[in-house]
Amino acid sequence: MNYGRELLKGNTDSLLLCLISRHPTYGYQIVKELEKRSNGYFQFKEGTLYPALHRLERDNLITGKWQILPNGQQRRYYYITERGQQVLANRLATWQDFSTAVKSIIQPETI
Amino acid sequence: MISNISHYLNRFKDCLHIDRTIRDGVAEELYTHLEDKSRELEENGLSREEASKIAVQSLGSPELIAKQIYETHAQGSWKEALFSALPHFLVALLFTSYYWQNIVYVSIILALTVGIAIYGWRRGKPIWLFPWLGYYLMPVVITGILLLSLPHGWGWTAALIYIPLVLFVFIHIVKQTARRDWLYASLMLAPMLVTFSWFSSLGTGNELLANDWIARLQANALWIVISFISLAGATIAFIRLKPRRYKILSLLIPPLVILFSVTMASRGNINSWGWLILLFSLFAFATPVWMQARAYQ
Repeated sequence: MNYGRELLKGNTDSLLLCLISRHPTYGYQIVKELEKRSNGYFQFKEGTLYPALHRLERDNLITGKWQILPNGQQRRYYYITERGQQVLANRLATWQDFSTAVKSIIQPETI
Repeated sequence: MISNISHYLNRFKDCLHIDRTIRDGVAEELYTHLEDKSRELEENGLSREEASKIAVQSLGSPELIAKQIYETHAQGSWKEALFSALPHFLVALLFTSYYWQNIVYVSIILALTVGIAIYGWRRGKPIWLFPWLGYYLMPVVITGILLLSLPHGWGWTAALIYIPLVLFVFIHIVKQTARRDWLYASLMLAPMLVTFSWFSSLGTGNELLANDWIARLQANALWIVISFISLAGATIAFIRLKPRRYKILSLLIPPLVILFSVTMASRGNINSWGWLILLFSLFAFATPVWMQARAYQ
């Protein structure tokens, strides 16, 4: 089993919430942004993005709204909800604690 | 010639059995994603054909996306599951004593059913609607069957007028439901399956209904309650389970319980009318499930 892939799978929701919390965005832009910000480390499987977005929307963490662009094209933009912000804050705090704890064991001199 | 993107989206839509509005919305989202990707690849020098082919490949299997989207939308909440099972519990409650013979109790439940079914139908057919819809249709169908019991040939005359009308309404509602999902049609037909199956045990000789049918029905009350409770359990499982194959399996349990209950209660003493009704109701219920299972394979 690929450990990196498993880590990404376990943190997909947090990554998506984090990106959407910065500014409303749409599916394709999310894929590009993840790739760019991680310097190509996160090669997100594009097809798995939409089920994840819909799951977050079902759980009322984000909300999708159709917008018509000046060229007439329609895009579904995702916005983070209040509940989504609370969940993201909790997850980030947990992640910080976890990351510090892991670092303190594998790289004690850096702490 | 159909483009790569259209072909991809058609495959996606064909295997996604959810509310049509949601399905079309997700398909539109995938379309804009594929268009964005294609456009970007074309700007990098690829031909339209090559670009759309790569865009489609990078999105992955449409069947897999459809399955994951289905699992997100097809699972109802516990509230929805319990509300869907509520009419089955109410009917079971009627049979736990003599309430089913009390016109007031029956009328209250009937009025409640009609009100909720109409409300749900107008509010975009949510997942909890279908069992209520089944009970809503039942009085209409039962009236048609009872017309056959009218004396001196009047029954057949009345039935000849009534049956086409009922069939028209019935087929229209089943078609509307099946268009969304065949499995919902089975969920809707399930209360009729139970009712007609029990109807089948009330005849004698060539008569559709024996003289003592009320006493017979009351004597079988425990088995009838078991039938409706099994239906309620299957409905809850259907709403809560995510994978489609488990939903199909959950719908196959009540017919087995009901067949067993009817046979046990009547000790195999079912007349030819009864067998006809029993087989017809089992067939009507199993057909949508079978069609869906075939499509699933």
